[in-house]
Amino acid sequence: MSTGASETLLEGGGVDLADESAAEIAARSPLELFWRRLRRDKVALTALTIVGIMIFIGIFAPLIVKIFGLPNPNTQNDDLLDDFGSPTGPSGAHPFGVDERGRDVLSRVLYGSRVSLEAALISAVLIVVIGVTAGLITGYFRGRIDTFVSRVMDLFLAFPVLVLAVGLGVACADGCLGGVIQPGLPVVIFVITLTTWPYMARIVRGQVLSLREREFVEASRSLGASDRRIIFREILPNLVAPIIVYGTVLIPQNIIYEASLSFLGVGVDPDKPSWGAMISDATSIFQDAWWFMVFPGLALLITVLAFNIVGDGLQDALNPRTSK
Amino acid sequence: MHRSHLRFLLVSMLAVLALVVAACGGDDNDSSSSSGGSTTAKKSDAAAPGGTDNTKAAEVEGKKGGSITMLAGSDVDFLDPGRSYFTQGYMVIYPTQRTLYSFKPQDSAKPVPDLAEGEPEISADKKTITVKIRKGVKFSPPVDREVTSKDIKYSFDRFFSENVGGQYPGYFSSIEGAPATPTKGVKDISGITTPDDNTLVIKLKEAAAVPVAAALVMPVTAPVPEEYAKKFDAKNPSTYNTHLVATGPYMVKNDASGNAVGYKAGKSIALVRNPNWDASTDYRPAYLDSVNIRTNASDANVASKQVLDGQSMMFDANPPANIVKDLATKIKDQYTQIPSGGYRYFPINTTIKPFDNVDVRRAVLAAFDRNAARLARGGKFTADLPTHFLPPDFPGFEQAGGYEGPGYDFLSTKNEKGDMTIAANYMKKAGFPSGKYTGNEEFLMVSANVDPNKAQSEVAKAQFEKLGFKIRLRLVPQDAVYNDWCQVPKKKVAVCGGAGWFKDFADPQSMLEPVFAGYTIPKSGLNNNMAQLRDDKVDAAMKKAALLDGDERLQAWADIDKMITNDAPAIPFVWDKTTLIRSNNVNGVANGYYTAWDFAWTSLK
Repeated sequence: MSTGASETLLEGGGVDLADESAAEIAARSPLELFWRRLRRDKVALTALTIVGIMIFIGIFAPLIVKIFGLPNPNTQNDDLLDDFGSPTGPSGAHPFGVDERGRDVLSRVLYGSRVSLEAALISAVLIVVIGVTAGLITGYFRGRIDTFVSRVMDLFLAFPVLVLAVGLGVACADGCLGGVIQPGLPVVIFVITLTTWPYMARIVRGQVLSLREREFVEASRSLGASDRRIIFREILPNLVAPIIVYGTVLIPQNIIYEASLSFLGVGVDPDKPSWGAMISDATSIFQDAWWFMVFPGLALLITVLAFNIVGDGLQDALNPRTSK
Repeated sequence: MHRSHLRFLLVSMLAVLALVVAACGGDDNDSSSSSGGSTTAKKSDAAAPGGTDNTKAAEVEGKKGGSITMLAGSDVDFLDPGRSYFTQGYMVIYPTQRTLYSFKPQDSAKPVPDLAEGEPEISADKKTITVKIRKGVKFSPPVDREVTSKDIKYSFDRFFSENVGGQYPGYFSSIEGAPATPTKGVKDISGITTPDDNTLVIKLKEAAAVPVAAALVMPVTAPVPEEYAKKFDAKNPSTYNTHLVATGPYMVKNDASGNAVGYKAGKSIALVRNPNWDASTDYRPAYLDSVNIRTNASDANVASKQVLDGQSMMFDANPPANIVKDLATKIKDQYTQIPSGGYRYFPINTTIKPFDNVDVRRAVLAAFDRNAARLARGGKFTADLPTHFLPPDFPGFEQAGGYEGPGYDFLSTKNEKGDMTIAANYMKKAGFPSGKYTGNEEFLMVSANVDPNKAQSEVAKAQFEKLGFKIRLRLVPQDAVYNDWCQVPKKKVAVCGGAGWFKDFADPQSMLEPVFAGYTIPKSGLNNNMAQLRDDKVDAAMKKAALLDGDERLQAWADIDKMITNDAPAIPFVWDKTTLIRSNNVNGVANGYYTAWDFAWTSLK
């Protein structure tokens, strides 16, 4: 998938030449070229805006709720339930209706974005850090470390991920690792990270294995460069593209992963509304209260789709050849 | 992973998630099982329109024959009458085992002689009970012989052993020779004697014949043949559970050697007619030919819909709230409501500060929106809001104030949704001048991870938080809530996310003593007094009232009910009614004693 950075430069330069007057022909940096290609991809830009909005909502949810005068997401209100405990639907005061405890669904959807994004982004960062480190070490140094770590990775990869996650989540209900991992969101992040880093590590390891055989690495080595220099100066820069691409795929994957765990009741912090938990609660009353599942479901769908499209767009912008 | 494959996987995971029905519908485990109380609620809030009158249904001359499938969300605890202590267990035991006394569906306040021939004879000093045993009752195959008084004595003897481990020895601890701790192996209890094959004499250490006689409705009084059962009872735990015989109109299907092949744990129970049952010795009509109970119907929503839309089916327990709504608004038929004869409550751990302060507890009760908690269980059509503990139509209920109750301001009919002013006053009295709790610690609340217990605990959490308490709500599987958490004092659960106590027999002592007496808290093992209430005045009054009888007894226990309410050890939030649903072609009759469908009276239309 990846190529040396120098090659992208030539591609971009050729296409743009027609637009320039002869006097303005100048070398463009990879970053500029990348940005130009991305700008031309309208769909990706729309998705990027949506992602931006979601992140904005995630950060400013409490403020938004206050400004629009929406009730607190945890305020229960039994006046909004009928005599049988069924919730009322969308109305002026509650645009997304209420749930079975009389809590405003719009507020909960807004606050739910915080949980989803926090869990997804933090674990994505951790997975990248751990995965890249592991991939680099095993791919570059080979030998016994590689054998051992690769087998560990194979073990994780062989396990049905959700089953392992649920088991870990339940075992950590009171906190894990002697209290380092507190119950609630930290457990979810821990579980997601622990079960996903092998995927990242495997990809990185594959890349490193092919990169270390390349001529420029050989050239560096024959010039007397240390391992550390080769890793950081020669190999790592060439990994940036696949890391970014897989990293952006990781985020929507983690959002769904967190939603699945909440749906199954693992790592749920009853104080924090979560889209997955809302969908789970809504399944039993779906026929009578469609809004309770539809709105968090839509929020989840739109967020995940947006991140996916952005990931695609980034990939195309980084490697125009693969977009064909 | 290839990009498009990954995306496909993500989208399909999402689609699958959206379609999977999550909740395990399983019904609530009550801490004890039921007895006593009458069939109609007199001044109850609202009866959902369209329900069948149970008394009338019982009078119907049913059609003989046919088979019914019952869908149940959980298995019986035990089939063994000496071990079972659970509504679902009773539902199978009472049609298959004949106890000394039992209840007809038409009257769950006064038991009638069943295996006994007449009323129990109580001596003048109230220390001896004599019961005459009916002739002509036989055990089912493979035992095949007539029941004698010795078989009932053996039932009691084994009940007190470790191997059987009867769960309510407290009701019979006053019998002479009854051991303080379970015996190793089945030992003879000297206080129970059988002067002849048809007479049973029970001698007591104290003048407690009245409550003990009332307790002779319990499953332990079902006969067990010693010569057949002793090899099973020699094991620990006893294996009689899967080799049991019957004396009622029905039996668990077994093979020639007595193996209960009809019992598949966690899957199904097959009940067939007992060939040795003689209808002339029994008041039960026993219309049905067989009953098949499926005990793995864990999704209450799905199961309820199957019962209502299908044929010849019944559901074992309360359907979920949305089904109740359909029953009351759309279907208007196919269900029967009977008082559950119990109360549901949130016990407050009185050993954890600041809940050791009675005014703090009163504040919690005053602030609590009990209507919201009731809505979590289905709303006013399924329950009344309690103002004390003894439930409607139970002996002592009227003396304790009936629906209005003793009238304390923190627990009254005027305060259904919580009154923050009254609550603030109590908090101030308790030493919190702001009217709210100002501490920082988190209190543990444990509840089941399925509705309705999950829903009601979420309400409870919000109610406590109104007063400034920080609550950590921990959701665990249904069967762990009591056994691993709420009933284990070491776990320091501040508030249990809901518990229920249902009558064991028609006597107020059994409604209040096990749950609120300080002297019932065991040094080890599971504790029923989850609030760990230790009020010396209450304890003394209970010990005195246990020895009374007649109206004096009811008045004394009603006064104890008021005392306990004043101590505010728990938030009682429903006096519920059990709603039982059936298919269209079933003439279902419910038994008000154990609040479940009664197989021995139900028939097909």
